[in-house]
Amino acid sequence: MRKIKILLKDERGYLMLNVIFLTLITSFAAMILLNAAPRVKNPHSTLRLTALYLADEQFAQLESMAAAGEPLTTNFLGKMEDLKSENSATGKPTEFKVETTISGDSNLREVTVTVKWTVDEKDFEIKSERTIWLVEK
Amino acid sequence: MLRNKKFHSGGFVLVEFAIALPLLILLLYGLTTVSLNIFRLEKDQLADYVLEEEAEYVMERITKAARAAKEIEAFNASNSIKIIYHTVDDDTDRNDVSDQSSGNYILYTIKDVWETQYFLTYAKAGSDFQNLYAVRQKTSKPTNPITGENYFGSTKINSLQFSELKENVLHITLEMESLKTGNKIKIATAVFMPGCEKKAGLPHE
Repeated sequence: MRKIKILLKDERGYLMLNVIFLTLITSFAAMILLNAAPRVKNPHSTLRLTALYLADEQFAQLESMAAAGEPLTTNFLGKMEDLKSENSATGKPTEFKVETTISGDSNLREVTVTVKWTVDEKDFEIKSERTIWLVEK
Repeated sequence: MLRNKKFHSGGFVLVEFAIALPLLILLLYGLTTVSLNIFRLEKDQLADYVLEEEAEYVMERITKAARAAKEIEAFNASNSIKIIYHTVDDDTDRNDVSDQSSGNYILYTIKDVWETQYFLTYAKAGSDFQNLYAVRQKTSKPTNPITGENYFGSTKINSLQFSELKENVLHITLEMESLKTGNKIKIATAVFMPGCEKKAGLPHE
């Protein structure tokens, strides 16, 4: 016991120091690991996919109108229930807003569909563009 | 004096150890919890990614075929659809009129052909979960589904419904579920089918 005490005489304080450093290092490692988990960073990728297909729905309706020779309108023409989605990671219902702008005077119209949604008070949007041939009848 | 100093030193090490050991245990416990959570999160993330990718793949396959559809027959009760669509093939009968020297060979030799594609949902024997199959002929026992049976997280088709929004606008709603996380994805889209001449089984919206 006496020998151990003599041996440890010069080692005092180091164990505590080691633990403090270890705490710091592991805290940093944990922070980096948590940030690396993609779900923490981007929990709304599914909503983006849903929005892209919603834009396609609007384009399909506009293409149908253009082929029939009807004037194009900027209202949402798809199914109203498709504007609501529960695809977010939290499972909360999300509502989409679809805005359509049509430009060009010739038969070729540049159509831009913007789909907007809000999650946890943050705004997201996707923009999709297509050229639509307006048939004259 | 020396004796006293030695006694003091030994006591400090003991106290230090008494503080540091619980701290160390707490630290290791915390780190293990964080690591386990991250691994579980990653696995769930992979399963959700598979779900999302498979849903996108199914939508792309169906919309691509439907866009060029000539005939469409939906079977909403069984979450299935039959699409006969326009595609092209080499016109071997017209090789004689082709002008290969001027480089117009391709123009002369393409002909319109029709391809039949079924998208069938079907649960394998011994399974309650429906997978989607893309096949050319209607069969009672299809093989190699295009959804589900993924190592990172199998999925099932909850519903695949079709309707007609306007004249020649096919509305598709797909709902899938991950068997690993239980998360669901519901995607809806529409596709304009300018060349569609015959439709069956499509309810009007």
